[in-house]
Amino acid sequence: MGSSISITGMGIICAIGNNSRAVLDSLRKKESGVGPIRYLQTVHKDIPVGEIKLSTDELKQMLGLETREPISRTSLIGAVAVREALAQAGVKDLADKRVALISGTTVGVMDVTEQYFERMKTEPELQYLPHSNECGRSTEEIARYAGIPHARCCTICTACSSALNAIMLGSEMLKNGEVDVVVAGGSEPLSRYHLNGFNSLMILDRERCRPFDETRAGLNLGEGAAFVVLQKDTPGLAYVSGYANRCDAFHQTATSPVGEGAFLAMTEALRKAGIGPQEIKYINAHGTGTPDNDASESAAFLRVFGDKLPDMSSTKSYTGHTTSAAGSVETVICLLAMQNDFVPASLGWEHPIPGGVVPTLGKTGVDLDYVMCNSFGFGGNDSSLILSKHRPEEAPETLLDESRVKAAFRRVVSTDEELSQIKDYLSPLETRRMGKIMKASLLSAFSVLKEAGLERPDAIIAATSRGMYELSTLFLEDISNNGEELLKPTLFMQSTHNTIASAIAIRTACHGYNITYSQGDASAEWAVRDAKMLLRKGEVKNVLVCAFDEELEEGRTCAFKAESTLYTLDHE
Amino acid sequence: MEELINKLKLQIIDALNLEGMTPEEIDNDAPLFGDGLGLDSIDALELIVILDKFYGIKLKSPAEGKAVFKSINSIADYVQKNRTK
Repeated sequence: MGSSISITGMGIICAIGNNSRAVLDSLRKKESGVGPIRYLQTVHKDIPVGEIKLSTDELKQMLGLETREPISRTSLIGAVAVREALAQAGVKDLADKRVALISGTTVGVMDVTEQYFERMKTEPELQYLPHSNECGRSTEEIARYAGIPHARCCTICTACSSALNAIMLGSEMLKNGEVDVVVAGGSEPLSRYHLNGFNSLMILDRERCRPFDETRAGLNLGEGAAFVVLQKDTPGLAYVSGYANRCDAFHQTATSPVGEGAFLAMTEALRKAGIGPQEIKYINAHGTGTPDNDASESAAFLRVFGDKLPDMSSTKSYTGHTTSAAGSVETVICLLAMQNDFVPASLGWEHPIPGGVVPTLGKTGVDLDYVMCNSFGFGGNDSSLILSKHRPEEAPETLLDESRVKAAFRRVVSTDEELSQIKDYLSPLETRRMGKIMKASLLSAFSVLKEAGLERPDAIIAATSRGMYELSTLFLEDISNNGEELLKPTLFMQSTHNTIASAIAIRTACHGYNITYSQGDASAEWAVRDAKMLLRKGEVKNVLVCAFDEELEEGRTCAFKAESTLYTLDHE
Repeated sequence: MEELINKLKLQIIDALNLEGMTPEEIDNDAPLFGDGLGLDSIDALELIVILDKFYGIKLKSPAEGKAVFKSINSIADYVQKNRTK
């Protein structure tokens, strides 16, 4: 008999409520939280967003924090949601248990960095503030403020699928017996940085978003944090029955017209759950409201479900797109729907897309046993999670011995001289947007694959403490210099931490598992752990791990190191 | 017109990081996207920024820019007719 993963607690804070009860209330009353900007400091007051209706000071008060020092909203809202989830789970003797806190975020501590970006250059007393986007820092703060300082922290940065990937990692760690209790989810506040970034991509609707509507004109950004407590073989509110992460491997910010990544993720999640598509009773779609996403996701739905699409809705017209937190915000919404027998409405939907899928305007009195939740991120990082009301029968898993995993090939790239070798793999047109760290990472990855005689790896895992440090600094400078107008989309589209893992996938047409870890000095350790587990479970034959980071001087790369390793199984 | 075309090409080379390219190498009539120069959707957004920044032309969406961005000639034509600065 295999082990089952149960959800024993949930916590949420977002535009439609500061806890799960309030969120449930808004969903049932069909009240959206999207409206004019009130708290975020920006010139773009014409852009509607889904803000949490609390200032940063009010959030500190809520947590009983008396400090006047700047704290990232990521940490504050994350801690609020983790506290609620832990209170509901009521795990006995938590302090004595092996606990992991796994959080998905991409904004990380950027909301603090962007406020002090200019002042930090001249005021040495502000140097303690984060000047790079070390996302792992926010997760460590969440652990502290939520009262689980002993938790092992892990941060996943795969843009808008981060939180769903966090729940998957947590489930895997429990199954393997690596921890006793997992708190998994994501936290993402609004920031001037990504509001301007999405604005430069011209995908923000000036009205409330209308996912799957023919007149849809883009997304609304939202902020939120949501976490679930996961335990093994314990009666729970619901159970994690299947999940998968796959890569579209099409473009850094655009989705493939056929929805390849989404199709593969949903199909694999169903296979893992051991059910057919007809057993899904409700789908919480990624449904951002951009012309691109909804068309691509529709195509994937038609491929998976044919003309028998279950009730499907996007709840982003309530919460806004909470980006890295979307996966857990919507998982909690699914849990609330399952517990209270209703299907959330695709609020504001009116006009069907010709030949497209039709979302539901809400239902009550329905028994939702199997529910699917989709989250897709930049780089075509596509994840799908299946929850069930009943405890699933899971087949036992066998792990191959760790000694069979070997680091078969390795290449480090850390000097300027080496970078010209990228010409052997990519044309000037392909490298024109790339900074040194991207070139170094791709060169190390391609050299390893070439040496191994592999066209593409089965899975790609990246590890980075600071992510795309130079590019994100350039975009911050762009915002400072141009007053939030006419910014360069080229900088923003490459600034998420998972840009490099996605670029490797796109160039090698690798649709497999694709994850990026960002947990300070422990990032590589998490990546290697994941690679080994994938191999030991027999899910893949090889995994490419790419660890990279760069140092800046005056805002430009002055030192860098990218190390790619191909892990394989030893033949016995 | 000649002068505008040259200026546009330099602005495009800079904004799109077409390192090492000279204005002479870009054919005025060749398609910029797809088979021609091989630009993508992010480049289209950069072209929209160029039109706004240097010529005061505001396009609402990349879809609106599709016909405009066919070639260097079509961009120059559009700029000449619609520029506000």
